[in-house]
Amino acid sequence: MAEAEHHKHNHDHDHPHAEIGETGAPGYYDIMETAVRELLIERKLIRADEIRRQIEVIDSRTPALGAKIVARAWVDPAFKARLLTDGRGACEELGISFYDDTGLIVLENTPDVHNLIVCTLCSCYPRPVLGLPPDWYKLKPYRARAVYEPRAVLAEFGTIIPQNVEIRVSDSTAMVRYLVLPKRPEGTDDYSEEQLAALVTRDAMIGVVPITLEGGVVQ
Amino acid sequence: MTQTDILVLRLPNDIGGLPSDPINRADHDLEPWEKRCHALADVLDFHKIINTEEKRRGVEALGTELIGNLTYYERWIVAFANILFQKQILDPGDLEHKMADVEARWFRYLAEQRDPHKTKDAAGQPLPGPGSAR
Repeated sequence: MAEAEHHKHNHDHDHPHAEIGETGAPGYYDIMETAVRELLIERKLIRADEIRRQIEVIDSRTPALGAKIVARAWVDPAFKARLLTDGRGACEELGISFYDDTGLIVLENTPDVHNLIVCTLCSCYPRPVLGLPPDWYKLKPYRARAVYEPRAVLAEFGTIIPQNVEIRVSDSTAMVRYLVLPKRPEGTDDYSEEQLAALVTRDAMIGVVPITLEGGVVQ
Repeated sequence: MTQTDILVLRLPNDIGGLPSDPINRADHDLEPWEKRCHALADVLDFHKIINTEEKRRGVEALGTELIGNLTYYERWIVAFANILFQKQILDPGDLEHKMADVEARWFRYLAEQRDPHKTKDAAGQPLPGPGSAR
């Protein structure tokens, strides 16, 4: 391949060189990813700036978005009602856009019902509002067991749900993702919306842990 | 039910309900290439070149041995390559050549890195990274 042509692909790269220094020579799959991407760009099926932009989008989506939605639902009953009817629409009200065609169903935890989300077939997850899923969500133990022994799975996260509370496990799909609306903890009546959002963790919005007053860091 | 019946009834990804190990909560930050791979999936979906269901079918089609031995994003990129071949969007020979090019660029780049005074190549062009360009 001509030097000039290869430079044309690389002049506008903006990754830090330190990243290469740390990792040394790339692995087989790293090379494959670069090759597939470059071929698709050469054939004008995708553009380099689309990949750059999507990396920025991926980086911008974190559990803080979900936490903002939860806190708003806790303080605003009308918003909560809209959220439970049209999850995606309510998120968009808060300026949280969806970059794909997925729908979002928000599942409310109550004194009688505890919700848990999983994707048994792969790793479908409400990425627009939570960011990327943790490894355990994508691996066999959780995907296999959450649907038939949720109490045992929850216990491994330190979560004990009383026997009189129903556990509902929702299996995500390519087109429909779920988000758990955890119960607001006791003793937060005088909390601001920001203070409430700071209590809400990623794992609580998956449904594997409850919200506690000690939870401060959005995972 | 014999063991082989179970293999016929359940595709490799269809694991809901099977016995498995305790949950290991360890997590890892994505490698740069893994994040690029994820972005590629999203862009391919946006352009309706490969959607989520096609991606999952492509991963299932790798079969149990590859699924068991490749990591999450390794499975994705191999599945993408296979799907793109099947759709005749990419040719296996072209991919092979491009991968060799990418690897050669890397080795050139790493060799230049060892000489910190070298900031331009023989053609006077600034030395780039070998392909992390987005």
